[in-house]
Amino acid sequence: MEHRQRLHDALPRPNHDESARQDFVASLRQYSGRVLGAANYKLYKAKVEPAFDKAKGRPPESVDEVRPLMTAEPYYQFWSATQRNSQEMMWDSVIDTVERHQSELNDKAARAGPLGSLKLDPALKVPAYHTAYDIHLQPGGYHTEQAEEDVSAGAIYDLGVPIYALGMMGTDNNSTGDTLVNWYRNAYPEAKPERVLDLGCAIGNSTAPWVKAYPGVEAHGVDVAAPCLRYGHMRANALGLPIHLSQQNAEHLDFPDNHFDVVASALLFHETSRPAVKRIFEECFRVLRPGGVAIHFDGFFTGPQEPILEFLGLWEVYNNNEKFLAALRTLDVVKINQEVGFKDVGFQTSPFVVDLPPLKMTAKAGEKGYMASSFGAVPLLIAVKPAG
Amino acid sequence: METIAQDKPAPLARAAKGRKPRYFADPATDTLLSMVLALTQELSVARDRIDTLERLLDRAGVLAAEKVDAYLPTPDEAAARADLRAAMLRRVFRAAEKEAQDLAGGVVATSEPEVMDLIS
Repeated sequence: MEHRQRLHDALPRPNHDESARQDFVASLRQYSGRVLGAANYKLYKAKVEPAFDKAKGRPPESVDEVRPLMTAEPYYQFWSATQRNSQEMMWDSVIDTVERHQSELNDKAARAGPLGSLKLDPALKVPAYHTAYDIHLQPGGYHTEQAEEDVSAGAIYDLGVPIYALGMMGTDNNSTGDTLVNWYRNAYPEAKPERVLDLGCAIGNSTAPWVKAYPGVEAHGVDVAAPCLRYGHMRANALGLPIHLSQQNAEHLDFPDNHFDVVASALLFHETSRPAVKRIFEECFRVLRPGGVAIHFDGFFTGPQEPILEFLGLWEVYNNNEKFLAALRTLDVVKINQEVGFKDVGFQTSPFVVDLPPLKMTAKAGEKGYMASSFGAVPLLIAVKPAG
Repeated sequence: METIAQDKPAPLARAAKGRKPRYFADPATDTLLSMVLALTQELSVARDRIDTLERLLDRAGVLAAEKVDAYLPTPDEAAARADLRAAMLRRVFRAAEKEAQDLAGGVVATSEPEVMDLIS
């Protein structure tokens, strides 16, 4: 596979043509994202902004002003439609593989063990922000049960993410987890955390790096999606990692107060809702021990940027069913964390850790345009619970 | 307890829930772009498969890889290939070819009112 994912034992194996289709989508996304996508910024600077400036005597000042101008540009229309298609084709190409293996995967997952644990809650109500639309166009989202004891959403996600991220998610879709662990290890070089919680863990891919970095740690991952957790339990066992996965909504956790040394989340908040955000931060505060630290990685607003870059960064909102990302970026998450009781709160820039060499044609750090500035170094939201 | 037979699981969902944006003034263009990308993907799959075959044949000692690149068709073989290419072009350009024939007056056009007169 071009995207060089580790073929662990839980991962369904694509056959020749499935693999070729998936590789094609990865190549298409590299080309569309890097080569074609980079031209959007140039189009804006060369044509769109000067035309607006000429008419109004000033450049566009907001996404609301940029959006109608860019979406009227034939080049942007073509690029955006191509990018949307690449996302649809990505899921379609991996669903072929999962569909072919579905019954065997579901049987295998039902027998998975003995490492870690899996606790499902059939009474849990999957929040409307997951059921109203399928996030990032994955058919059925994270949560839909397409068979008895289904794991398909988890397997689809595990195969799809490396194609989406073009190698930037690492060998085992571990880059986001590695990034948080790396920050923690630098900030607390002496620490040996006993208990760590990963919120919105999906298939436990962001939870696993904590177990690798701190053998013996009691690592918990929670998510609302049972098919992802079932698959995650099988996957953690295939990787030889003890992880405790439970089906819970991060807005109201069943863990006791003052329980965890670290609460982490990777790309959770942009897939929730405005009321959920505050409730999740409240729960982070409650379950952390005094002196414990919350580390969050997501597309939070960290400061104004050129309206065209903000617009391109929000492509996922308008075209990829990441609908809450735009509203998330209007929230002052530092203030919300202070309101729920955290004292030391702020953003810290930290390297985005990738355990693979970069692909040709993937985004270079600092390059302007869609998905180009996301990697290299990323801002992490850090909140420390007062020591007591 | 009887287990649920999962030998033939129901097909997995293929469409994502949520409004699909329209990108072009003519919705047919959206559909056409999806078709072009899917066809490019299938072409890429076929090329990968040919590449696999060539490599496996080489590895098995059946056909050295450089023989494919060194191959020169005989005149008869070249003519047969040219026919295949022309037939493919006719199929791909079917709509354009019809237009070209009409423009050249190659097809006797009966106007719609005349057609209606004829059949009603």
